[in-house]
Amino acid sequence: MNPRIRLSIILISAGFVLAVLPLKYTRSLGGSPAKLLSASLNDSLAISADQLARFISLEDKDIHLVDLRDKADFMITGIPGAVNVPYHEILEKDPSSFLLAGNARNIFYSSDDLQPGYAMIIAMGLGYRNSYFLRGGINEWTRVVSDTIYRGGTITARENALFESRIKAGRLYNKLCNLPDSLKIKYLNAMKFNPKKLDGGCE
Amino acid sequence: MGPVSSLISLPGWANMLIAVAIGIGFGFSLEQAGFSSSRKLVGMFYGYDTTVLKVFFTAAIVALAGSQFMGYLGLLDLTKVFVNEYYVLPAITGGVIMGLGFVVGGFCPGTGLAAISIGKIDAMVFFFGGLTGAFIFAETYPLIKGFSDGTYKGPVRINETLGLSPGVFTFLLIIAAVFMFWLAEKAEKRFSRPDISADI
Repeated sequence: MNPRIRLSIILISAGFVLAVLPLKYTRSLGGSPAKLLSASLNDSLAISADQLARFISLEDKDIHLVDLRDKADFMITGIPGAVNVPYHEILEKDPSSFLLAGNARNIFYSSDDLQPGYAMIIAMGLGYRNSYFLRGGINEWTRVVSDTIYRGGTITARENALFESRIKAGRLYNKLCNLPDSLKIKYLNAMKFNPKKLDGGCE
Repeated sequence: MGPVSSLISLPGWANMLIAVAIGIGFGFSLEQAGFSSSRKLVGMFYGYDTTVLKVFFTAAIVALAGSQFMGYLGLLDLTKVFVNEYYVLPAITGGVIMGLGFVVGGFCPGTGLAAISIGKIDAMVFFFGGLTGAFIFAETYPLIKGFSDGTYKGPVRINETLGLSPGVFTFLLIIAAVFMFWLAEKAEKRFSRPDISADI
């Protein structure tokens, strides 16, 4: 056989094997670093605990929470509706398996602001422009929302609205935190993120 | 696991020395393949000699398939391999300038240096022209900075842009390469120049 034909067959065979092999899929960050940096310094990308409480109390379907802590911490104090993707796994996983594209807002949180800030920039670099982080993380959330109590006295209508959303979101959060592990796992499985189901259609 | 530079931390000069050794090896291979002849190189544009296409395309697909196999077997960490950043319009403009320089000068930068190493005077003139171009670029950079740094897309890979897995993309590229090789052979017969080919 002609050596050129033989070489072509070898190359095509190698290509076919590669096409069926489960190769690791690495993704590149797009967008100018300068633009990503200036976007990350934009204060409006930080969501406050009160804003998040309001989204949760209104059952806003356009927000998507990503908990970047370890699974053990997430199981103890996960915010209702969040999915757990430990920070060190975000570059290994296919982002479409845990982030929402389009107009939905992806909100990252952890114990502090550092990792969620990085995660937000990574998500923006991967094309998920509507990415935010929870300022102060779970600690701020617990202080503002979960531990909120009515201390008596007169409050304004605005303070009352704020208090109501805190109480509603806080109740949901505390209820989830106090569930026995077996029920919590069932709840989290029921909430499991499945982007295909969010694609719409007429099913 | 590779790349080698991630296995052992070498001082800067040692890394440069490795680059020089690889460069000499590359230049030697180019010269041995006949790429120090500008008539052979521009044969690609006239169709009578398509060795350039066959050699470089074969090198690209072998390197691509090889690195992916090594990555799959755990011998090479592809996440640590540098991916060049993509600036759309500057890349197209640079490609046009490079192509023009190639067809007019008869060399590309690497083959030009390989030809200098065997004393070719036309390659020395070509190299001087390249240096002049680099000098003009450096001196006019403040004026063209906006264009040069614009339309930035980051270190993207073609397979990502096309939404294909790396393996499927490699397979399709190999098919395209084999088709191009077949086409190149046809072109060589169609535009055959025995008078030039005999001299190369």
